[in-house]
Amino acid sequence: MKYYPTIGIECHVQLSTKTKLFSEVDNDARGKEPNSCVSPVCYALPGMLPRLNGEAIKFAIRAGKAMNCEINASSRFDRKHYFYPDSPKGYQITQFYHPIIGAGYVELPSGTKIRIEHAHLEGDAGKLTHFDNYSLVDLNRVDTPLIEIVSMPDIHSAKDAHDYCKELWRLMRFAKVTYGDLYNGNMRFDVNVSIAPEGSDKLGTRAEVKNLNSFRSVERAVEYEIARQTKILEAGEKVVQETRGWSDATGKTTGQRSKEEAKDYRYMPEPDIPPINLSRQFINDEAAKLPMMPSDYREKFNGKIPTDILEILLDYPELMEKLNGIDEKHITIISNLFTSVLLAEEKSAEYLNDLPDVKKLSDLAEMNEKKELSSTATKEVFLRLFDPQMKGRDTKAIAKELGLIQENDLGALEAIVDAVLAKPETKKAQDDFRNGEEKVIGFLVGQVMKESKGKANPSAVQQILRDKLK
Amino acid sequence: MEVNCETIKHLAKLSNFSLSDKETESLTGDLKNIINYISELDKLDTDGIEPTYQVFEMENVWRDDEIIKQDADREQLLALTKEEKDHQIKVPKVL
Repeated sequence: MKYYPTIGIECHVQLSTKTKLFSEVDNDARGKEPNSCVSPVCYALPGMLPRLNGEAIKFAIRAGKAMNCEINASSRFDRKHYFYPDSPKGYQITQFYHPIIGAGYVELPSGTKIRIEHAHLEGDAGKLTHFDNYSLVDLNRVDTPLIEIVSMPDIHSAKDAHDYCKELWRLMRFAKVTYGDLYNGNMRFDVNVSIAPEGSDKLGTRAEVKNLNSFRSVERAVEYEIARQTKILEAGEKVVQETRGWSDATGKTTGQRSKEEAKDYRYMPEPDIPPINLSRQFINDEAAKLPMMPSDYREKFNGKIPTDILEILLDYPELMEKLNGIDEKHITIISNLFTSVLLAEEKSAEYLNDLPDVKKLSDLAEMNEKKELSSTATKEVFLRLFDPQMKGRDTKAIAKELGLIQENDLGALEAIVDAVLAKPETKKAQDDFRNGEEKVIGFLVGQVMKESKGKANPSAVQQILRDKLK
Repeated sequence: MEVNCETIKHLAKLSNFSLSDKETESLTGDLKNIINYISELDKLDTDGIEPTYQVFEMENVWRDDEIIKQDADREQLLALTKEEKDHQIKVPKVL
């Protein structure tokens, strides 16, 4: 029997606000000592009052708009109780009943639309490191603002699961709400997978694979689950509803034998944080700050940048912003230069830390189009634009300094020869030469020399002329 | 709502409390009384009434996104924990 997979994904996105969701303490713990970004609120000391970060509300509006979601004017916080050392409060402050972000959708590069059920704001938990007979707790991550994005079960293949996660990553980075560093857990994915006989209108029993932090592990975990569940059903057995863990090393999911008792989070309204009631104006003002999204760029550059190249470039929001400022007539050459660097250069991402300004890039494209630079020379000058030592100089100065301006280059000369041959006053001489009057070649060479302001190499010019007038 | 020893044991487990049988028994009695008292409210018709999130009708209480130096520093906070190791809080093995 053939089975049809159905997949829903929950994604946690850490927001890159300056301070945490509920206290005025540093939210950016990257490279910092454990427990150095904490406040008495993170420690849940008795009597501490959480103070909501207004910026997180604005980030959530932008994130929601990036996913074409409704923003709910009224949202609230709730307590979700559980006991675990990663949460000194004994509960997580989340939005269980009234999330800030309502229904929407994410469109994959393939055109497939994945609906978003809702997304809500909540505080992250601390980080545990396990040792042989104890565990250590670092509270730096406590109350980092998260939005949890819950998709509808609209995904039906491992590839679409991969593409959906990647597109979310792009959307959140273009919307500037997260650093999007997957390695450091800025985005984490929980994937619900079930399979059912093809044509069946009932969903199968699902397994949830938790805490995946790369698109590749999402794809592999889904592939593994589909195969595992197919094998179980084909053996006439039943899939158990459970939480499973994924190992990149073994390429397998394994059941996490968590206690089978039903979860009992005892949700209740969070009394310390008054409800949020946003005006249309407030929501619209924030939504208007959303920069161009991947779909906008796909539309804008459709037919100008090949799709496969554009999809590479779309991993880099700052680069796309830069390309957006480049004149349309230069866009092909500039996007190709960036793509070749991204694909071929070592540490290519470092090239994107400090992008050359639009003028330098446009000058480069122009010099290439005027054949002042060969394509090899164009690439060389392009790489030098990133060189800190060349910082203050414009493109032409760099090209000159490198001796790459090709006035003796055959390509450049050919352009001048073509221009001269197109002039009506050279028409007669051309005809005469074709009729065997060898000496008129001197007149034509002279015209080309004049056109090149004396910079051309006469023998090269004569050779080109002879080839053209054959 | 029925409250019995099992309810108390379940709640204790969720909150990681260890209770003696005697404590369980006495808490069962206490909670029964409390629930009984609160159950008076069940007589009210609350259909279509929103849960109360705020009794003072406050809304939109939020602050600017600016770091403020905390009154308590890392060492002071870590000193409040039972045991620390390498600037982290040491707890019994949980996995």
